[in-house]
Amino acid sequence: MTAAVSAHRRWKYLPQYLAIAPFFVLFAIFGVYPVGYSLWLSLQRWNGVSEMKFVGLANFRFLLTDTAFWDAIGNTLLIWVMSTIPMLVLSMLVALGLNSSVRHKGFLRVAYFLPNVTSIVAMSLVFGSFFSSEFGVLNWFLGLVGVDPVQWLTDPWAIRIAISLMIIWRWTGYNAIILLAGLQALPQDVYEAAKLDGAGPVQTFFRVTLPLLRPVLLFSVVMSAIGGLQIFTESQILLGDRGGPEGAGMTMVLYFYNTAFADNDFGYGAAIAWGIFVVVVLFSILNWRLVQRPARGGEK
Amino acid sequence: MTLTRRRFLTGAAALGATALGATACTSPTTANPGKTTLWYSTNGVSEKVLDQAVRRFPAQHLTPNEVSGELNRRLLAALSGEAYLPDITMLGDGISTYFSATDRFADLNALGARQDEANYLPWKWQAGRSPDGFQLGFPIDTGPAALYYRHDLFAEAGLPAEPDAVAAALSTWDDYFEFALRVKDKLPGRYLITDTKMVFTYSLAQEEQKYLDRQNRYLEDQSQVRRAWDRAVKAFRMGLTAGYAGSATGEGVDRRAAWTNGKEVAFVNASWITGNLKRSAPGTSGRWHVCQAPGGPGNQGGSFLAITRYCPDPQGAYDIVKWLMSPENQAAAYLELGLFPSSPAAYSDPSVLAPEEFFGGQATIGVFGAIAEKVQPVYFSPWDITISDTYTDELTNVEAAGKDPEQAWEDARTAVERLLRRQGVLA
Repeated sequence: MTAAVSAHRRWKYLPQYLAIAPFFVLFAIFGVYPVGYSLWLSLQRWNGVSEMKFVGLANFRFLLTDTAFWDAIGNTLLIWVMSTIPMLVLSMLVALGLNSSVRHKGFLRVAYFLPNVTSIVAMSLVFGSFFSSEFGVLNWFLGLVGVDPVQWLTDPWAIRIAISLMIIWRWTGYNAIILLAGLQALPQDVYEAAKLDGAGPVQTFFRVTLPLLRPVLLFSVVMSAIGGLQIFTESQILLGDRGGPEGAGMTMVLYFYNTAFADNDFGYGAAIAWGIFVVVVLFSILNWRLVQRPARGGEK
Repeated sequence: MTLTRRRFLTGAAALGATALGATACTSPTTANPGKTTLWYSTNGVSEKVLDQAVRRFPAQHLTPNEVSGELNRRLLAALSGEAYLPDITMLGDGISTYFSATDRFADLNALGARQDEANYLPWKWQAGRSPDGFQLGFPIDTGPAALYYRHDLFAEAGLPAEPDAVAAALSTWDDYFEFALRVKDKLPGRYLITDTKMVFTYSLAQEEQKYLDRQNRYLEDQSQVRRAWDRAVKAFRMGLTAGYAGSATGEGVDRRAAWTNGKEVAFVNASWITGNLKRSAPGTSGRWHVCQAPGGPGNQGGSFLAITRYCPDPQGAYDIVKWLMSPENQAAAYLELGLFPSSPAAYSDPSVLAPEEFFGGQATIGVFGAIAEKVQPVYFSPWDITISDTYTDELTNVEAAGKDPEQAWEDARTAVERLLRRQGVLA
């Protein structure tokens, strides 16, 4: 009898199940299936057209000893650090500026946010001519102030700086808006108390504003980590599929893309994708610990 | 019956499921059933000629389809899904990738290709044939490599400027390097070598063998690779390379500017660069000439047309392919897009023999044609592009990042051997 009831119930809730089904159906087709398939693919040797050949864990063995892959991880993290730290400082300054009484606030906010909604491909092409070593605008400016031209797209460190600059340009405004929202939510009474105690603006910033903004800053760091681990387009458009001299612009995702879709090595490409997955998981755990910490401190 | 939210959702869900089910069951094998779909990449085939073919072959319903981006990737996707496939498709110089999957294509020999073979360059025809004799590709264009040079600047430096004289003076790469030194001396700040990659690529293109043999075995003797490598390093050590290697956009921007302002006095490249040169540096019109490249004849690049086995009317498709690639139509494509003909008969077509204003009145087809006819048959393996990229990446490291050339060579060799082990070529 209970079985009959539950069957009846199941039918009764059918419309509800159907209503939530589209997400699960689409997720199964475009989420679960590709994930499972890529795991299967990572155990094969396949050029995309011939018969697949099962090679067991050989692709993963290659991955562990693949210096190019380790270099790509290092590069990705390096570019992430090189872009995130200056970006956060800059967006803090922009947010503080926007939070003080300046004119045309609305216009300025939109202007700072604009780079974030610009097409990355179009942007990379523009930056490409911007960084061009002999005829680029940037070197022309450097020449005006008496600095020797920099080989932006051939010197390994200059490449990393160039990519970081593009990321900074793109994300400063976005994070400034988020920090601004955080600033505006801060209670005014602590500032009044600080003023009464005779704290200067610098002291107020470091002792009051920054600690209170910690959760918002952490959000920005986490978001930029998510973006930073996926750096791809900037490198690819600026330097091509192979990442430029010394692979300085070779990021994890670009290495995966190049192996799978330029070299037609889909099995190994899938193995790289799983390697990236492991790196992302480790990073997520790190981020999670970081976000958890203030809560634990608060309990004391 | 009133339309409640629940009824609406049920109906919508049912409709969605039906639509999903319907499309899943009826995805067609070829892209346009009942028509002959032809995939070509941008500027890979003349659109004027294609338009004529559409009208000429009404029974086949030819439907040309320009694939933007990587045609190869789209073809691989369609082949794995066995859906939305083309009947005729263009294939690039990586055609050997498909030699392991000839069951997905039609053997052109079964459609009468043997009679047409004689009209095309033998080495090019052979490049479209698998090791076991399956004729997969019908030749489109080739890429004979020549020396492009600014005759006005050569003359200004007091050096030979006429094509025959230049070719005679620059028969080997060493001659070319010595010559480049002299030009550098007389016209400081200018160069004749774009980067080490140029030397490596075109030097290797002149060899009889590259990396693998036709059975996809790694060649015991890789001395030709080392030869090309040493030449590239030598050019760098002599200070002859322009040094903007490695970047995708910067290279383009800087190089085009160098064409326009005369910094790049000469370079070796396959014929397909002509269109780019004309578009990038229109101001230098009339000041260029071409002649045989130092080191001898070589080819770089070129494409094919193939017919898939999913094509219901392969004979009709072959008739189209054959007509599209007739000597007259190849001549037309050469004039329109610079696609260098794979049929020698096209070299004497009156339309292509006219003096070219951009090249100071020279008829360049004579130079390129003579090179194309002397190219040796070379096997281009499925991994050649990756292997070449590995070597030229390391050369870029030498050139741009100051890496020790011997270390770079060792690293490149190791990377290539690792790749081939992963691919099962090496044990």
